[in-house]
Amino acid sequence: MKVTRSWLNEFIDLSDISNDKLYETFNAIGLEVESIKLIEIPQKVVIGKILSCEKHPDADKLNVCQIDVGLGVRQIVCGAANVINAEYVAVAMIGAVLPGDFEIKHAKLRGVESEGMVCSATELGLPSLGEGIMILDESIGKLEAGKELRAYEKVADTIIELELTANRGDCLSIYGVARDLSVALDIELKSFSYKQEEKMKLGIAREAEIHTEGIMGVNLRYKLATIETKKNSFIVQLRLALVGMETQGIIGGMFAYATHATGVILRAYDSDCFRNDADKIVVRPMAIKKGITEIYGNGAPLGIVGVNQDKKCMANDETKQILFEASYINPGILVEAVFSNSLEKDDLYYKTSRGSNPDLSFGLMYLAFLMDRYSEINCYEGSLDVDTEHERIILRVNTDEICQIVGQKIETNKMVTILRHLGFEINVIGDHLITAEVPLFRHDIINIQDIAEEIVRIIGINNIQAKPLAFFEKIRLNSTSDRYKEKKSLRNRAIGVGFYENVSYVFTEKSVLERYGFSTIEERLELSNPIVEELNTLRSTILINLLNAVKRNVSYTKKSIPLFEIGTVFGSRREQKEVLSFVFSGQASNENVSNNGKPKMIDFAAFVQKIGAVIGAFELMPCTHKNDLLHPYQSADILVSGKVCGFLSKLHPNAQQSYGIPDTFFAELDFDTLLPKHMNAKPISKFQGTYKDLSVVIDKKISYYEVARVLHALASPLLRDIYPVDIYEDEKLGDKKSLTMRFFIQSMEKTLQESDIEAVMAQIMEALKKECEAELR
Amino acid sequence: MKNLKEKIIQADSLEKLEKIRIELFGKKGLLAVEFARLKDVPGPEKKAFAEGLNEGKAALQAAFDAQYEALKAKEIESVLQREAIDVSLYSALSAKGALHPVMETMNKIIDYFVALNFAVESGPMVEDDFHNFEALNLPKYHPARDMQDTFYFNDGGLLRTHTSPVQIRTMMATTPPIRMIAPGTVFRRDYDLTHTPMFHQVEALVVEEKGKVSFANLKSILIDFLRYMFGDVEVRFRPSFFPFTEPSAEVDISCIFCEGKGCRVCSGTGWLEVLGCGIVDPNVFKAVGYEDVSGYAFGLGVERFAMLIHKIPDLRSLFDGDIRLLEQFR
Repeated sequence: MKVTRSWLNEFIDLSDISNDKLYETFNAIGLEVESIKLIEIPQKVVIGKILSCEKHPDADKLNVCQIDVGLGVRQIVCGAANVINAEYVAVAMIGAVLPGDFEIKHAKLRGVESEGMVCSATELGLPSLGEGIMILDESIGKLEAGKELRAYEKVADTIIELELTANRGDCLSIYGVARDLSVALDIELKSFSYKQEEKMKLGIAREAEIHTEGIMGVNLRYKLATIETKKNSFIVQLRLALVGMETQGIIGGMFAYATHATGVILRAYDSDCFRNDADKIVVRPMAIKKGITEIYGNGAPLGIVGVNQDKKCMANDETKQILFEASYINPGILVEAVFSNSLEKDDLYYKTSRGSNPDLSFGLMYLAFLMDRYSEINCYEGSLDVDTEHERIILRVNTDEICQIVGQKIETNKMVTILRHLGFEINVIGDHLITAEVPLFRHDIINIQDIAEEIVRIIGINNIQAKPLAFFEKIRLNSTSDRYKEKKSLRNRAIGVGFYENVSYVFTEKSVLERYGFSTIEERLELSNPIVEELNTLRSTILINLLNAVKRNVSYTKKSIPLFEIGTVFGSRREQKEVLSFVFSGQASNENVSNNGKPKMIDFAAFVQKIGAVIGAFELMPCTHKNDLLHPYQSADILVSGKVCGFLSKLHPNAQQSYGIPDTFFAELDFDTLLPKHMNAKPISKFQGTYKDLSVVIDKKISYYEVARVLHALASPLLRDIYPVDIYEDEKLGDKKSLTMRFFIQSMEKTLQESDIEAVMAQIMEALKKECEAELR
Repeated sequence: MKNLKEKIIQADSLEKLEKIRIELFGKKGLLAVEFARLKDVPGPEKKAFAEGLNEGKAALQAAFDAQYEALKAKEIESVLQREAIDVSLYSALSAKGALHPVMETMNKIIDYFVALNFAVESGPMVEDDFHNFEALNLPKYHPARDMQDTFYFNDGGLLRTHTSPVQIRTMMATTPPIRMIAPGTVFRRDYDLTHTPMFHQVEALVVEEKGKVSFANLKSILIDFLRYMFGDVEVRFRPSFFPFTEPSAEVDISCIFCEGKGCRVCSGTGWLEVLGCGIVDPNVFKAVGYEDVSGYAFGLGVERFAMLIHKIPDLRSLFDGDIRLLEQFR
């Protein structure tokens, strides 16, 4: 919502209020100031009165004008076609510096002297007011040739853009903003009254009548007028441009201007649309259903009150006779009706849906003032009216309760004064009890907390003393806080081994998920309005996002790219879970003196070590997960406490190639499985233990995981630990490989004899022979 | 004797000194020979001779010890010098990564409220109309829904547009008194220089019996919290409107870039808007079946906090995994 200082001044005297004070006041009462812009008209730009204008002898498009600039007459050559219709214009004198550092100098145009320039709006730094030069009139004040244009406060205005909250429809007009200011600044509103001269003395009833159908829930007022001459006044054009409103024609502009000024919804119809076969104008408002009142003319629907208007019936500059309509409808009822009937809305709906001004006569009066002043209109006497008594909200307010909400003592008298200023009708019932009748234009106020808000707004939140809340307490740590704690510690461990934390959208591209064989959301549960193709579904893995980030970092010439992310992924039924994902691409470390500038690329062992440093002890077994990012021969399931909690792999060369990135490893783990578990200590043996090595030859296809499982199944109380220490393959071994393991053998009860140890080793060998067809090497 | 001392002092290596030690102090060394003569010295001279010998031996021992220490120190010094490196070559060897500034900021926020014994609560990202809008006093036709461009699913579900549905879920699952925060990921269908379709919020809610929680209480905790986050700043409250609170306010801090003088970041106003707050609207309590209670709530955008605190210029860079940005926070 844009207002200008001089426009506000029509309704409230701001002459003693600085712009700083205005800014502060607006913010304090909840009308947030988005921007304040001062229109600065350059010096030496003066009012010029055109005395004559003749065609340039040698140039078709130029005019040679004699212009009175106060101190004398200047000859100025002007290229704008509309200069011939102009009387008063803005003249930039020699020496004036226009925006863009454009200095006006003496000039000779095709042999004719020119002492200055006739300005267009944009040349002066104003918004465009259409083609050609700017034609002034006395709507900005008395025009005196030679007077500096910057001295006219309606031109050198201040534009204030307010960011209104959705509840403040009452401030969607200059008048409404002035009304709120008047309470905050304690300045009475100027009374605006205008009595239209009704030249025709013909009653509207001679030409027009109104017939309603159904029970009316709206207020309507129609006036009829014939247009003799109309003139586009400068102030209307200027202000509409300053507040950024685009309108059509003189009539369209005037109606928009009056609506913006007063907040009353004003529409202009061509009266012919309502004229029936008997040459009578008949307006038929029909209550269709709750919140929908349709206006019929000559049997056809021409618009819905508060919602739209048939474009064919809008009055324009060619219209001879205009039917003016002012309307009001309760916004609460309207928005519900528009929503549930999916009605098509036009620009004015924004105002009606947020609450327009119900004071219809005020809007019509302002419009009449505008038209009479600058155009010639013959207005019929009287109006066609539909009046509806709207239900008024009366709140019983215990003022102590307001004090409790605010947290501070406020005198009842003070509250009464504030509310009355705001337009409430107040009855004082007791010391701490009042009733407040809410003004119709404040439909947003429905309960005592709304009243509290009005009080807070006007006394100023910054005048409320902060007070800590005292309470009884019990401990509130819960499983969610435990999860946060664990995430925090995982994060810190991850960065400790060099990973950077990534945060990416939970969106990804469905076709990419499909291409790499990840699950996708079922169609019936899919996003219906994605923002872009690349983010058209919810991710089922973080890896795609991480690989995209790797690709970007490669393009930023990063050579070692370790990233991790803790985030949410979704299953095909949109079930939500959290995962921890890692990716490590390129060099295992940065170039430095200890690797002579030739760091190794990340490899399986280095990656596994890093993951272990983050998540703690785990086992790897051949991968059972399926997706096309996995390297078939360098991928593993990750087991924590014997349960699969994710996977780890080298990136498949196909994927690596299509992402265009160096060697890359990745892992994705279910976060829930990483939550800390309860641990009990086991007794530690007091007796000496022994290390024993064993090399066996087994089939190449048998993984160490299977071998270890066989040995764990022995459940030997003496076999305390197993380490794979070497793997050897050569041609001689063929389909077999040699695996060397080291065993730690120890008893809880005694120092072992050589024979005890040999018995364990024999047991191991026997099991391996039986289960894995192993042979001693 | 003097010659011997001279010899010790001139020994320039530990090896030479060791030879001298054997020569002098060894079993068959010069001193041993001299002491052996003692038995042949006549009685009356014996004492003087012995004293002379002892003095001589002590002097030689002292000279030897001093020389030994000096040579030993010299040898260690040369070993140390051989091991000398240019330590400054190794400054870039740190392998530590970095937390994401948004997550780091989120942690800092959570820490504050956990320290004040607020429970941490969470909820699903895919929500329904009731929890995300209806129960928060945002009926379907409410104009304020325009403020929140929503992602919908084919089955009518939606991605939560704020963390407020967690308030609703928590209130419905427990009973007052409530003191909670809901940190989380939220979504709006908006994508430009200053908007990303996903971002993070932290929301707080306090519910107590009727008449207990006031706007003054809200001011108190927010001023304290904002100074914890931003240092010694001025805090300003402006009345505003949110469907779920009444009275509502937007909260500004004095600009941390120009200290309130006015700069590009604060658009010349000297103030930075950082959060929204208010007294919980009675309609919200009604929706969850609470009676005779009072409460306050507030919510903030974590990205905005992170960008202000760390002077990060571009919102969208936060979601790029750009190591050039992240490595600055190591």
